Amino acid sequence: MRTRRTLMTALAVTLTTFGTAHAQADLEALVEMAPYRGYLAAHAGLQDPPPLLGGPVTVEISQDGGGVFVGLPDERELDPDVFGTPEMPRAFAGTPGINGVPPPARGIEGGRYTEMKTKSPFGDAHVTMGGASLSIDAVDATAVDGANSDDRVSFQATWEDDAGNAYAVRCCEMLATRGVEFPTFGGVVTNHVLHGSTRIGTALMPTEYVYFAFWGMGEVLKNGEVVAAPRLVHGMLTEYVRAEGYSLASDREVTPNRTHFHLMVPPMRPDMEAGRFVHEDVPTGFTLPNGMELPFWHVMFENLDVRATRGGGTAGR
Amino acid sequence: MSRRGAIARAAAGVVATLAAAVALTASDGGPSVEPGALVTMVGVEFQPDSVVIHAGETLEWRNDSKLTHTVTADPEKAAVSEHVRLPEGAETFDSGNLAPDESYRREFAVPGVYEYFCIPHEAAGMVGKIVVKPAK
Ligand SMILES: [Cu+2]
Repeated sequence: MRTRRTLMTALAVTLTTFGTAHAQADLEALVEMAPYRGYLAAHAGLQDPPPLLGGPVTVEISQDGGGVFVGLPDERELDPDVFGTPEMPRAFAGTPGINGVPPPARGIEGGRYTEMKTKSPFGDAHVTMGGASLSIDAVDATAVDGANSDDRVSFQATWEDDAGNAYAVRCCEMLATRGVEFPTFGGVVTNHVLHGSTRIGTALMPTEYVYFAFWGMGEVLKNGEVVAAPRLVHGMLTEYVRAEGYSLASDREVTPNRTHFHLMVPPMRPDMEAGRFVHEDVPTGFTLPNGMELPFWHVMFENLDVRATRGGGTAGR
Repeated sequence: MSRRGAIARAAAGVVATLAAAVALTASDGGPSVEPGALVTMVGVEFQPDSVVIHAGETLEWRNDSKLTHTVTADPEKAAVSEHVRLPEGAETFDSGNLAPDESYRREFAVPGVYEYFCIPHEAAGMVGKIVVKPAK
């Protein structure tokens, strides 16, 4: 399926830039080089991961009505602050798209990187949809990755397309208590910098302060029917990373005193045994203008009510 | 900004200007509650993003998008205070949340240049300008 191949994220990078056996070996090496491999190895078997300093943080986030921004496949401009230069590349290791971007997948012009050669969920292209709601109840209790966690997430999000189809994502029967290629801090993390230069999460999103984030396995629904489960679900409340015309910000364009919530159901499945991600489209049931099915959900909520308490107290409520 | 976006904006601006002209015609000799101009909220843009009215006229904003927006000219609520400009003697204003299809009207008594923004989408460039000329 040619259209699918040209549109897909990480696999597309794999296919177009690592087509030969020799190149496939290079890709294996790149994935092996994911920067947190050693750190993850030290935490993977941890049976009683330590608690968060100062006690658990309880987080409630909601949006009642209004709309959402739905990210569409697009090329991502490669920020030199994150990706370096063709002479001094940065952020290249790990599974392409979900972690780093391999140098062969980067456009070059005038000695600088331009944009990623293939489309991904991380770019400027988007549509808006209405009928939105968001409800999150979560606890960040565990500090680091481990074999188990006291973190908890109850997540439900819905939105509707122009034809009246209702889409929803629910999470998390199971939290990702430890990461595959980068840490997940027990499944929930609060008050941390992620993405971009941190190499925690895809470098295609800018380096951004994250008030709350989670990774877990959940369900994707269309019109009340589960269309995919279990699927990796990642959500985060961050400083504002969209710029003029809703373009995805570079690091220098981040707005610190505004927030929004991002929901991501990536076209990838974690393989915990192998310690890597495997490509797998999300059968969202939403058809793009070119007739192709949107193979992921990347949805932003921006009319939020946020409450949080720390250490079991009631301050800030 | 893409050329397509600019063309769409220009076309929408023409429509909004025509709508404003119609509204102005309707207000001639009619009750003073008719708006002097109409600004629509489409995506993360005010269309047109700049309007000219006369003191004493009422401006109407209508949310034609699927998103919740605000019409805000209060430096204390701005992420970037330069996004707000008010003439000497003019009061700050804020529509509060405008759900899809909701409208907000405000009469402008003080002539001068106003710059305002939408609280959720200020960083995405959702800003607008009003030039209020002296009363006709
Ligand atoms: Cu807005």
